[in-house]
Amino acid sequence: MLSRIALKPVRSAIQPIRLTQTSATTNAASAAVAESPERDLVNFPRPVRQELPGKVRLGFIPEEWFQFFYAKTGVTGPYTFGLGLATYLCSKEIYIMEHEFYTGLSIAIMGIYAVKKLGPAAATFLDKEVAKSDAEMNAGRELVIENCKNRIAAEKVEQDRALAQKMLFDAKRENVALQLEAAYREQLIKVFAETKKRLDYQVEVQNVQRNLEQRHIVDWVLRSVRAAVTPEQEKATLSQCIASIKSLAQQNTARI
Amino acid sequence: MATKRIAQSAVNWSAMAEKVSESQRPMFNAFKLKSDQYLRRVMANPEKPPAIDWAYYQARVAVPGLVESFKKQYEALKVPYPVDKVTAQVDAQEKEAEIAIKEFIAQSNRRVAEAEAELKKWSSVLPFGQMTMEDFAEAFPEQAWNAAKPTYWPHDEASQQPPAKVEH
Repeated sequence: MLSRIALKPVRSAIQPIRLTQTSATTNAASAAVAESPERDLVNFPRPVRQELPGKVRLGFIPEEWFQFFYAKTGVTGPYTFGLGLATYLCSKEIYIMEHEFYTGLSIAIMGIYAVKKLGPAAATFLDKEVAKSDAEMNAGRELVIENCKNRIAAEKVEQDRALAQKMLFDAKRENVALQLEAAYREQLIKVFAETKKRLDYQVEVQNVQRNLEQRHIVDWVLRSVRAAVTPEQEKATLSQCIASIKSLAQQNTARI
Repeated sequence: MATKRIAQSAVNWSAMAEKVSESQRPMFNAFKLKSDQYLRRVMANPEKPPAIDWAYYQARVAVPGLVESFKKQYEALKVPYPVDKVTAQVDAQEKEAEIAIKEFIAQSNRRVAEAEAELKKWSSVLPFGQMTMEDFAEAFPEQAWNAAKPTYWPHDEASQQPPAKVEH
């Protein structure tokens, strides 16, 4: 009767358990799960593990109780009711404060102190442990998913590479064409070079012959001229030369 | 010239290099080196031989009729373009390779489909933190507890042999 859920209207009664999400990713993951088309996902969504406790007031009284009173009595209603009920129970000695009550009080104080002091540290430690165990459990699943994605990507790359073999064959055909062209050009150049070589040879033969002829004629002329010169002529020329040198020398000294 | 002549390399080597896997890189490099050598051999000679200055030789060579006969013969000589005997082989190779590629791609697609099926299966499995025992039994029927196939104590893998029958 006093449970939180009892105080809710029927539909929203399920909400505290089912709509408390741990995180967005898990929500997305659970959304990916194939469900039967007959399932009513609006009113009966997939239950999700509740990570945090529900909201409370004064440290221990559920928020829902206050909400229940709020509609009928306003904000102070639940407090008035609680105090009134406690006063009534105590004054009529329905609740008797015997020695165990004071023991309970001291134990409660110690408990509250311990929770306030050690609670946060313990909570962080335990949260870490929970996250670790979750990660361990999901590691295999995530590994498989990652592996599948990698495999698909690798296959796509390999297919791309296989299709690119067309380029290789184009290159091969081009290489054949290049070699043919190279051979053709070499032959053309060879024909040209051989022809030119023969023509140049003819020109060279001509040149050499002309050179020889020229030299021969010059030699012949020189020889004939030398043979034609007599000793008298040579002597006369020599004396003529000496005379002209002398006259030149006299002219030069006079000028100096 | 009946056959098409080639003067430039039309192969996009950089695009081709991107498609080469790491294990085939040395082969690709050797192939490229050879192709470059062929191209260099083509580039070593001009496309057409330079023209011979016939008038020059006409003036220089005294032998009557020699240059004319040279000229006539030179112009009459047609160098035949070398016959292409190996392109057919390359085409045959390509046909073979095409068949192999088709087969490989079919196999590859099969593998992709397998991987995608596995991926779909695992993506549809709830995170284990969100699972109930029922969800687990649905997702992994062979690992979940099954009343039809009980396990032997202590329920680890080593102790799953059925106990030997004892003859009395």
